[in-house]
Amino acid sequence: MKSRIIIGLFLCVALAQVVTPLSMIATRESVIKNGAQFKFKTAPIDPYDAFRGRYVALQIEGDYVPTVMGVKLTHGESVYALIDIDSEGFAKFTSVLTKRPREKPYMQAKVRHISGDKVYLDLPIDRYYMEEKSAPIAERIYRRHTQRNRQDAYVVVRIKDGFAVIENLFVGGQKIEDAVKKERKS
Amino acid sequence: MSKMAIRWLYRELPELITKGILTQETAERLRHYYGEVKSVGKRVAMLIILGTTGALLIGLGIILLLAHNWEEFSRFTRAVLSLLPLVIGQCLALWVLWKRPGSGAFKEGAATFLSLMVGASIALISQTYNIPGDAGTFILTWMLLIIPLTYLMQASMPAAIYLIGITAWSGTYWDNPLKAALFWPLAAITIPHFIWALRREIYVLRTSILSLIMIVCVSIATGFSLGKTWQGSWVIIFPSLYSIFYFLGWLKIGRITTNWQRPLRIVGAIALFTLAFQFTFRYVWQYLDKDYFGMDRNISDISAMPDHIITTAIVAMAMLLFYDNVKRKNWMVSLFGAVPLLAIIAYSIRGESTFLPLLLFNAYLFVLSVSRIIFGVRNNNLAIINTGMLMLAVLIIARFFDSDINFIMKGLAFIIVGAGFLATNLVLSRRMGGAK
Repeated sequence: MKSRIIIGLFLCVALAQVVTPLSMIATRESVIKNGAQFKFKTAPIDPYDAFRGRYVALQIEGDYVPTVMGVKLTHGESVYALIDIDSEGFAKFTSVLTKRPREKPYMQAKVRHISGDKVYLDLPIDRYYMEEKSAPIAERIYRRHTQRNRQDAYVVVRIKDGFAVIENLFVGGQKIEDAVKKERKS
Repeated sequence: MSKMAIRWLYRELPELITKGILTQETAERLRHYYGEVKSVGKRVAMLIILGTTGALLIGLGIILLLAHNWEEFSRFTRAVLSLLPLVIGQCLALWVLWKRPGSGAFKEGAATFLSLMVGASIALISQTYNIPGDAGTFILTWMLLIIPLTYLMQASMPAAIYLIGITAWSGTYWDNPLKAALFWPLAAITIPHFIWALRREIYVLRTSILSLIMIVCVSIATGFSLGKTWQGSWVIIFPSLYSIFYFLGWLKIGRITTNWQRPLRIVGAIALFTLAFQFTFRYVWQYLDKDYFGMDRNISDISAMPDHIITTAIVAMAMLLFYDNVKRKNWMVSLFGAVPLLAIIAYSIRGESTFLPLLLFNAYLFVLSVSRIIFGVRNNNLAIINTGMLMLAVLIIARFFDSDINFIMKGLAFIIVGAGFLATNLVLSRRMGGAK
């Protein structure tokens, strides 16, 4: 009898253990399928995460907005960053709201710090995972590009209801994975 | 009495009976009084150790394999891959619960493996979808999903992983005491497991390791979560914490103090001595009220509340255990555990002069080490005498090189220490002469 209860409880725990990763997958798959696509200019650099593998950290260009008059923001506070598209087709943050916006595209973010008249944002698109040997090569490719004054790295992000999922990272007009493959061959 | 002693006694019983020292009846009554000594065979213990270590290594290996990040796999393959090890771990655990519910080795091993696979699964999904580097959420999700295994599978390894995990989690909030303080309720979840392990003290090694991990985690998490809203309160918090460990290490559970308590006792004692020794230096009291690592929070702020409540609870518990030991006249134990009380006194009188706390702790360590030596001599225990001598020597050497104190004070301190030594020797030689 007692062992039946334990097994029953174990099955509940096991269910929770399976449902958690499944729901993580489901949310992101739905964003990738139905979310609107944006391109953010970025600078990839290469740190390391022992558990989840190797990634390039993404330094999004213009990860700040002007401070809003009359709104007091604190470090770590959740905000909604409004997005506009510039003439070149890249996404830019224009301002932040503390309440969920109705119409305009936006991304959920956190306040990193406030300096002068700028509010810097902690964006949920701060890393792009790569195969362990690829990450350093990706960073090298990016550096070479920036040296020639072609800062043309950008990340393609899908956003749905403020929830952002990274789709791809592009450097020099091609997917980073393809660029790495070419680099390896040459 | 320890298990070893009882076992020794039982071995002696037949001889004592044949020699007519004990009657058969008294021997039976002794057996009845001490009860049966349960023990696990060496083979079973080895099985548990090997099984758990194996599960741990395989689990970590799988995590590393997944961390390689196989580019050529599609998102679907990755989804399957992230769930597959998890489901295998679950099936294994289920099989153990179903077929081998009595085997400690199987349960510990399967629970360890499953605990790691839960982490591997979330990690691979984080990798696939480039989930932002919020380590806190990742760790906490993982830990909350595995802690039930400790109870359902009566396994200590998930509890150990959980304790390490929530400590790391509280570390990500070191600048936010309101969140970091959540470590305490989260850690409290493991208390029933500790009590359970205590009652079934047949896996001594396992529980010793678990309590050692607990001590380290709680110490680190205390640094992360407490003493940030009230400057200098660490001089009271840490002694209180370690005196609780120390007192718990002496607590008699069902007439015995068990082996698993030894880490508590030893680490508690070493930490208490180290803290008291540190408090004999001027710099501690000199810089106590200086502002450092950005502790500019207002004491009355609501975010300081958890810090204050938990601190008060820890100090109160230390005082309660101290009072209990004094009441039961456990002088040696009480004396060691008096550090938090002295720290409170020193903290409150430090305003008068920085010299008073120094004097207090120098005197305390002197009394502590000398009384230890005396106690050791009385009980013919060389180990206790030696630790007492060592403590005294450390104190004397420190004072000799302490350039902060002026020569007059230094001289006086030396004379007092020397006089103390002479007095001790006098008492000891008289006592030994009396014994002859």
